[in-house]
Amino acid sequence: MLSQRYLLKRGLPMYIQHAEAHRKPRWLPVAKSKIYRIPKRPVVSEDERLELRRINNAYNTQMRAIRRFYVEDWVREKSSLESATSEMSQRLEADEWLKCEELNDKWNKQIASNREERRKKELEAMEEFALLRMEAKDKALKERIERASEKIKKEKELSTTFVTRENLEETIEHVLANPIDYNFAIDSKGNIYEGRDTEIEYEDKKKVEAAN
Amino acid sequence: MTTKVVKYVGRTTDFKGKTLWEIVGSLKNFGVGRLIVRQVFNRYPEPSFMKIVKVQTCPDEERRRVRVWVEKTFRGRKLPEITEIYRTSYKPDYQLISKDEEQELYKRLTNEYNYSDVILPNTIEMPPLMKKFIVRDHEKKGLQTLKEFIMPLSYKHSPNRVTRIAKGDEKPTIQFGMGLGKPISPSLYKGVPLE
Repeated sequence: MLSQRYLLKRGLPMYIQHAEAHRKPRWLPVAKSKIYRIPKRPVVSEDERLELRRINNAYNTQMRAIRRFYVEDWVREKSSLESATSEMSQRLEADEWLKCEELNDKWNKQIASNREERRKKELEAMEEFALLRMEAKDKALKERIERASEKIKKEKELSTTFVTRENLEETIEHVLANPIDYNFAIDSKGNIYEGRDTEIEYEDKKKVEAAN
Repeated sequence: MTTKVVKYVGRTTDFKGKTLWEIVGSLKNFGVGRLIVRQVFNRYPEPSFMKIVKVQTCPDEERRRVRVWVEKTFRGRKLPEITEIYRTSYKPDYQLISKDEEQELYKRLTNEYNYSDVILPNTIEMPPLMKKFIVRDHEKKGLQTLKEFIMPLSYKHSPNRVTRIAKGDEKPTIQFGMGLGKPISPSLYKGVPLE
């Protein structure tokens, strides 16, 4: 327990509300001076005791009746109120349900029309795309055929120069008669001199000869 | 040998006796079959006592209590069902009846089993201010006005109940009113005009 002096000396004032200022706190034991005290019992005469008992019993009975009456009244009122509110709320709920259904149907219709439009557009786009693709494919196929036919033409033209059994001997003779030499040389000016044994005429040699 | 002297200190009490465990714990077979008396019930002219049927001890946390089942006789009438004593077993108000005194109690029981046949009323009249208030309140709420200003009366339901409560239209032997009533001891009201 804080002492009164400590409370007064504190920097901040502290307000303590006492139920009864002079009382000891409940958790403290009995004061030393009061330990062996036996409090006197109040003396009530028999007449008074009986009369008080009668009056108190009557009072309790009356109050019990009044309290019960008002509790029952309150319960009745509450239940009637609840039933009324529940009916009201049911009607309101039904109304709201209808409204919700209408709104829902409206939304559904709008969404359905939107969907139809969208699908039409999508279908058109798909057709266009398919046509384009088909054209592209046709074109590609044509090109391929053209390329192939060109190649065939070329091969046909080339086929005249092919070595066959008939002209094998002839060709061999021809090849032997005309040997081809793929060797060549390049000078610093980029002139190509074909053949291994080709005679090269140098310019400075020409100059020297000219000078001589 | 030390004498057992108990000096009471502090508030006085109406109780006189021991707790139930103090009695039962020191008896053979926990005192099953013995008679026990609550001292405060001795204020009634008819005998009230209890016969122990079964005893169950309690855990250490409840060392002042004990669970006892008894055949209860209250105000000369034996209750039809066996009663359990647990919540009130700590009260230092129980007294053991010695075996030679048991027969006397039973004798008194057979002799005195006729208390006055009082029938308590079911209803009570409203207090005067409440009558006026209710009339006005019902007018305000648009309800029907009451014709009889009577309230139902409720009583505690206890197996110990001696007086009977009127059932239905039965006529009660006494009536409760809202006034002061008839005083038991008129000497207290000397010089006071009643009514």
